[in-house]
Amino acid sequence: MTDLKTLVEALIFVSQEPVTMERLQAVLEGVPAADIQSAVDGLVADTGAAGRGIHVIRVGGGWLFATKPDHDREVRKLLQIERKNRLSSAGLETLAAIAYRQPVTQSEVSAIRGVDSTGALKTLLEKKLIKIVGRKKAPGNPLVYRTSDEFLLYLGLDSLDELPSEEEIAKILEEEKAVDA
Amino acid sequence: MPEPDAAIPPVEETAFPPSAETPDGYQVRLDVFEGPLDLLLFLIRKKKIDIHDIPIAAITRDYLGYLERKTEINLDREAEFLFIAALLIYIKSQMLLPRETDLAEGEDPRRVLIDRLVEYERIKAACSLLREREDVQILQWKRDFIPPLHGESELEPVELSLFDLAESFFLLMKRRAAENTRTIRGRDVSVEVKMKELVGLLQERHMIDFLEYFEAHASLEEALIAFFCILELVKSRVAVAVQDELFRTIRVWLRKDARRTAAHD
Repeated sequence: MTDLKTLVEALIFVSQEPVTMERLQAVLEGVPAADIQSAVDGLVADTGAAGRGIHVIRVGGGWLFATKPDHDREVRKLLQIERKNRLSSAGLETLAAIAYRQPVTQSEVSAIRGVDSTGALKTLLEKKLIKIVGRKKAPGNPLVYRTSDEFLLYLGLDSLDELPSEEEIAKILEEEKAVDA
Repeated sequence: MPEPDAAIPPVEETAFPPSAETPDGYQVRLDVFEGPLDLLLFLIRKKKIDIHDIPIAAITRDYLGYLERKTEINLDREAEFLFIAALLIYIKSQMLLPRETDLAEGEDPRRVLIDRLVEYERIKAACSLLREREDVQILQWKRDFIPPLHGESELEPVELSLFDLAESFFLLMKRRAAENTRTIRGRDVSVEVKMKELVGLLQERHMIDFLEYFEAHASLEEALIAFFCILELVKSRVAVAVQDELFRTIRVWLRKDARRTAAHD
């Protein structure tokens, strides 16, 4: 029998999007979920250790190969990419407002920020970090937005539950107040 | 493509704008704030005020003070800042109104502002945490972010039937049909001229996106000719046309051996 760990590694390697447990189970017919889980856990631990340039990470509800952060400069050189742009602060703020309040409309996002967010929404849509999920049954039938799967991938989140929690946010606010005091 | 708001974002340390003491307080550039709520939060923190018990008169004075310092006027942003100024003044007027009975707990006229500020403050705090995540993730390359390496080697051609090409073409026609075709342009384009133009473009750009190329044409007639040219080029084995999926765009490039000969055409 093939080593389950190397098998799982191959499956994750060829996939461009996170490979979920369900997908693995569907491919590895008859293999108990617990065995697959421990094979993946082993793989995550192996690749996470020093001596490897890539590692398996848990993101977007599944597993994916990613290069280790240390190699960013050389990877960019190979791909001839000058710099990966971070989101602008307006973009990030808009994204956060959507992530926490979804599903939301443009005017709801603008109200939270106190600033017209049409442009920021357009940029986020182009970057595929948000998606349109329908229209709201309200005057004007405004479009309704949600964060996308790419959003999870972009921030390395396993699911929306991994967004910073109320407690974490409260802690940040405490710290900021302490600095001001 | 750099989008308008992709300007280098202010680093978290500079979230509190660079300020210099002047006799009348602080000199702050308004454009460092994301919006009126951001400015308001900054003022509240500067004064070490409890967000749930804002002295409206004092804050309004500060707030208007900042607006007056503006040198440039951007009407859209101005309106957003003024809206909150109006809200502040409205709240103050509500608080000044004599009432028969004292307001109950939940009826503080400031409530609406406080709620917005508290929510905005939370979003901002979440942003700083998300930014940390972004900074780590941006250094890790996943396979879906990696564009194909465009080296010297020719891409593997995919079978493409005339039918596929035509199908895409009709899709384009449909888009074009919506345009005003009553205007007649007095420009004649021959297949010969268009072909030269197309070959030149292919040599320069290495590969063209047919959809984009097609859309760039001023008239339907010219676009039609461009389409015939591509068919002709493919037929005479000068160019290769590839469509990854039906109804997707068609990529066109010169065959390697043809690239040189065409150059001397």
